[in-house]
Amino acid sequence: MIRLRSVSKEYERRTILDALDLQVDAGEFVFLTGPSGAGKTTLLRLLYAAERPTEGEVWVAGRRIDEMGRKRLPLLRRKIGVIFQDFKLLRRKTVLENITFVLRIHGIAPREAHRRAMKVLRRLGLQHRQAAFPDALSGGEQQRVAIARALAYQPRLILADEPTGNLDADLASELLSLLCDINYQGATVLVATHDHAILESIPARTLVLHQGQIHYDGMWPP
Amino acid sequence: MAAVIRHAVAEGLVVLRERAAVSLILALVLGVPIALAGVGLTLHRWLGPVADLSGQKSSVAVLLHPKLEPGERRRWIAGLSTDHPDWTVSEVSSGELAERLQRWFPYLGDLMESGDATLPPLIEILTDNPDSVTELRDRSEVLAVGPRSSIQQTLGQVARRLALIVGVISFVLLAGSILLAAVWVHLELYRHADEVTIMRLVGATEGTVRGPFLVAVAIPGLVAGVLSVVGTVATVSGLSKLSSALGMSAMTIPPSVLVLQLTTAVILPLLAAVITFARHAADATES
Repeated sequence: MIRLRSVSKEYERRTILDALDLQVDAGEFVFLTGPSGAGKTTLLRLLYAAERPTEGEVWVAGRRIDEMGRKRLPLLRRKIGVIFQDFKLLRRKTVLENITFVLRIHGIAPREAHRRAMKVLRRLGLQHRQAAFPDALSGGEQQRVAIARALAYQPRLILADEPTGNLDADLASELLSLLCDINYQGATVLVATHDHAILESIPARTLVLHQGQIHYDGMWPP
Repeated sequence: MAAVIRHAVAEGLVVLRERAAVSLILALVLGVPIALAGVGLTLHRWLGPVADLSGQKSSVAVLLHPKLEPGERRRWIAGLSTDHPDWTVSEVSSGELAERLQRWFPYLGDLMESGDATLPPLIEILTDNPDSVTELRDRSEVLAVGPRSSIQQTLGQVARRLALIVGVISFVLLAGSILLAAVWVHLELYRHADEVTIMRLVGATEGTVRGPFLVAVAIPGLVAGVLSVVGTVATVSGLSKLSSALGMSAMTIPPSVLVLQLTTAVILPLLAAVITFARHAADATES
């Protein structure tokens, strides 16, 4: 599902990722961890083509995306559900509209989009907030809307950047079990987190990034 | 596709509601020059047959003898062209001559339509040297030779100056309105940069992303088109009443002018928006 070959990324001569090689197979559940500034977010951004590597090849879902043209990116991104660290919700749309909007651009009919959005909102305990605008929600609620949006169209790959950062322990655990369910149904899940409690809650392959390189690749705890 | 259009219209209307004053100014700034150009084109069409609009060469009218046989007339005209290669000789049909007479003297209309009036054949000679045509007066085939009447030449001069002034004003205002549309889209693009980024990140195509902005400029464009058509119709109607009061024929707006106005009003701001988007969308957003 994901393959990185000698991927490097530099910002203003500062190396963020250094000749990284990585392979994640379809259906895997993988944690990506490391200290702040280790390159977790940069690695995720390379995977949904928000960034291009300075060197190396990035393959996602069988396609080389570091050379992909701008016009083909939407089709790739429709296969990926991204849970952003800063939520990236549309401020002028309600909770329900934030989710149906994404479903609509995936070509899903309005009625079906509404049904699916309500289903995922119920699953995340947000059905009573469907008419609220993002600015009226707490950080945890905004986080859950961002998660609901990423899950609504049942993507083949889910990339989550610190998805539990704004959630309390109960909600964080609930979210992880949701991601596990989705993984069980066949989706590949890559979760970036620096929270060791989360890493220990689920036995899964864990990649530890440090100074732009993978220092550990295996089950957690080592 | 239907979903993309519905989204574009819904979001475009939101942008318009948020920026109602700017959209109205854009519609007015765009509508006025297009209306002016429409009136100018209509006047040009109306004056065309009676005024010397070419402004390059002089056109001299030569009235031929009515008893000249058609075959003989054609041969004589062909001979003129051979003898004077610098002349452009054209025959004015009796129908066109009747139309010109009616334009200036509408009360002759009944006489012209009854078919009782026998009009002599008329030719027009376009030349740099109108004096050279006067020699034709002595020919037996010719009834009369005269330069175009002074009123035609004066009208032509006035019409040319008017066309130039209207053209310059229209161009300046149109350029200003295109600039306004481009600047507006540019600012809206920065104001909605987060949304554009999010839409792209969740897999929206460029059509979905750009649609609302295009709708937001196309609607003022459409309003400008309607305003310009209404303005042109009202102005031409007023001028037409004036011309009728002066005993001249009524003015009509060619339908092609109205179509051109509507099309220009919608296409110009759209073009400005598309170019602005192509140039600045990448800088304004992070994806």
